[in-house]
Amino acid sequence: MKKVVMKPKLAVGASGHLSDLVLGQKAKVIALHADDPARRRRLLDMGITSGVTVTIKRIAPLGDPVGIGLRGYELLLRRADMANIDIEVVA
Amino acid sequence: MRIALAGNQNSGKTTLFNLLCGTNQKIGNWPGVTIERKAGMWLDADIEVLDLPGVYSLSPYSADEEITRSALFNEDIDVIVNIVDATSIERSLYLTTQLMELDIPVVVVLNMSDSLAKKGLKVDHRQLEKSLGVFVFPISAKRNVGLDELKNAIVNNEFVKRKPQPVFPAAIEDEIKTLEASLESRHRRFVSVKLLENDHLLTYLKPSGLTTAVARLADKYGLDAVEMFANERYRLIEAITKKAIIAIPMRHSLSEKLDRVFLHKIFALPIFAVIMFLTYFVSVGLIGQLTADGITYLIGKLNAVIATSFSAWGASPWAISLVIDGVLGGATSLLVFVPQLIVLFLIIGLLETTGYIARISFFLDRVFHALGLSGRSLIPFIVGSGCSVPAIMSSRSIEHDSERNLTILLTPFIPCSAKLPIIALFAGFFFPRYAGLVSFGMYFLAIAVIVLSAFLLKRRFFKQKPGTFISELPDYHLPHPVYLLRDVFDKTWEFIKRAGSIIILSSVMIWLLASFSWRFEYGVDPSRSMLAGIGSLISWLFYPMLGGNLSWGAAVAALQGLIAKENVVASMAVISGLASEGTDGAAIFAAGGLFGFFTPVTALAFIVFNLFSAPCVASIAAMRREFKTKRLMLQAIVFQTSLAWVLASLIGGLGTLIAQGFGL
Repeated sequence: MKKVVMKPKLAVGASGHLSDLVLGQKAKVIALHADDPARRRRLLDMGITSGVTVTIKRIAPLGDPVGIGLRGYELLLRRADMANIDIEVVA
Repeated sequence: MRIALAGNQNSGKTTLFNLLCGTNQKIGNWPGVTIERKAGMWLDADIEVLDLPGVYSLSPYSADEEITRSALFNEDIDVIVNIVDATSIERSLYLTTQLMELDIPVVVVLNMSDSLAKKGLKVDHRQLEKSLGVFVFPISAKRNVGLDELKNAIVNNEFVKRKPQPVFPAAIEDEIKTLEASLESRHRRFVSVKLLENDHLLTYLKPSGLTTAVARLADKYGLDAVEMFANERYRLIEAITKKAIIAIPMRHSLSEKLDRVFLHKIFALPIFAVIMFLTYFVSVGLIGQLTADGITYLIGKLNAVIATSFSAWGASPWAISLVIDGVLGGATSLLVFVPQLIVLFLIIGLLETTGYIARISFFLDRVFHALGLSGRSLIPFIVGSGCSVPAIMSSRSIEHDSERNLTILLTPFIPCSAKLPIIALFAGFFFPRYAGLVSFGMYFLAIAVIVLSAFLLKRRFFKQKPGTFISELPDYHLPHPVYLLRDVFDKTWEFIKRAGSIIILSSVMIWLLASFSWRFEYGVDPSRSMLAGIGSLISWLFYPMLGGNLSWGAAVAALQGLIAKENVVASMAVISGLASEGTDGAAIFAAGGLFGFFTPVTALAFIVFNLFSAPCVASIAAMRREFKTKRLMLQAIVFQTSLAWVLASLIGGLGTLIAQGFGL
């Protein structure tokens, strides 16, 4: 089987949105922009605060949602919500 | 004394509750199994225990989480037992820092299985205790370790000795304390924090100095209060866990391996289809074929023995008929299906407790999203193959109104266990070799109907912006065999009890109406009975789907399904039992009998109508509760019944015409 190598859109040190990352990439959360207050609060409650390190752990077979590793557990998020999270690529 | 169990979703609260109270509340492996406040008594102790829906914070996101906050806030609770899942300790302690703000002492229970300890997770609970300022207790709910110590500590009021440590930096703590001093409510610290966060539930309280305090904090931190508080809580937790956690293991490696199969890019969907196929194929097809004949034979024997002994005692013919056809006929016609239901309940139980459902809802979220539903809608759909009532209630954890309402409307389309006898009876007689295939086909049709309806109704229901899917992914768990078997037993026993109560009652009513004419003559031909008169009033509705047959019997059976879906089979057995012996398919569909007109095509049409038309009254009541408006409920019932009628009439009418055209 041919191994598919996903080319990262963002290099280490670059900043962008969480939704720009590919499988296995690690990043630091910079800011959260969700416009809906309840949704924003939920993301904060689940541990997406500035400075936290997140890893893309899995992507659903249909491309969305995405499993994100943070604070010792795995959080599932839709890409639409990930686009509201600013990050800086760590690895 | 009263304690409340509080913790994150899927942290093992209900497992602990069952262990403490000796109950068998539903345990599942997906976030949000418990959707109601449940109370029990701690075995051998005078302590009332409340099990509350899991929450991640005290700012509710969905209706079930609202229940937890209001219970903790308003009820008289002596101690909060906060279950902290040792594997996700950071996120769990976030809730702990909020619980500590209430005027109720908190005891932290560190739930840690031995397998985790073996894997190398080491938590210094003394250190944790010191930094939080609350009592910390390591237990293993699964192995019943540490519970006696917990009980002693609670009974002896040991928790009072601790004083919660401050969570926030001095500048914030000062603002909170100033605000606290100006309040007179309960839980002043909690209320102060919420006020600073501008919580919408507390806006009626307007203490002086709030606006200036909010402004001062915004000035100092450059963030809004919600984010500032979240940041500070997590900052403290990071510092605490750095000291208290000695080693943390890698994620469950078995879960990773299983996910490589069950969440495989290409095979995930086929695997899900095969699992659902096997569920129905094994329960209806295989188990049905193996057991139905034997049970029917035994019931026939039993009825014969009762009939002969009754006539030996000199009972009159109507009394014998009442017992055999009315009381026993309806109820025993359902007992045939018990083995099939046991298998169905077992498979559903396995799907629910292993963590598979949580994965499939993750995997199918994109598809559901396109239909105006959420990945979480899958949970009601799976639970619904057991019973629609808990399934409709489980939709409560969907926070988005449109997605939730659409899910509630669509859930009754999934064939529940009470509808299984209808499929099994018709398919078993008309398609004896393919009964399993037909019932899986019906499940597949149900999915098609759901997709079609969602597509039709999406615009009617969708008035909000798209929802979210924010959820944690639990590890796979090996189901606890004792709880699983007890769950299967409880559900099966519930089915038998219903057959012995409400179904017998309905059957006796059917017997009465079918045995007497309008002049109260007994023993008339069923077609001259009162029931025939009533059925004839609505039998025209069923004319097209029955391929051009007017059948008062089928009309009455379908109507009885509104009381309970099991009644469809029971009523047919009672009505036909008056004319013939036995209650199995062969007796019910005997040529020349009341139901002798059924053909394979009209049988399918009749199944379809009963599967998709208005559900039983219990489900309708559940829909009413979860919709919160009568209007939506009525609209849903009209939609379901119209759709079922059109679909059944198309199958029965067109199918019969085609069959006649081919000279079949």
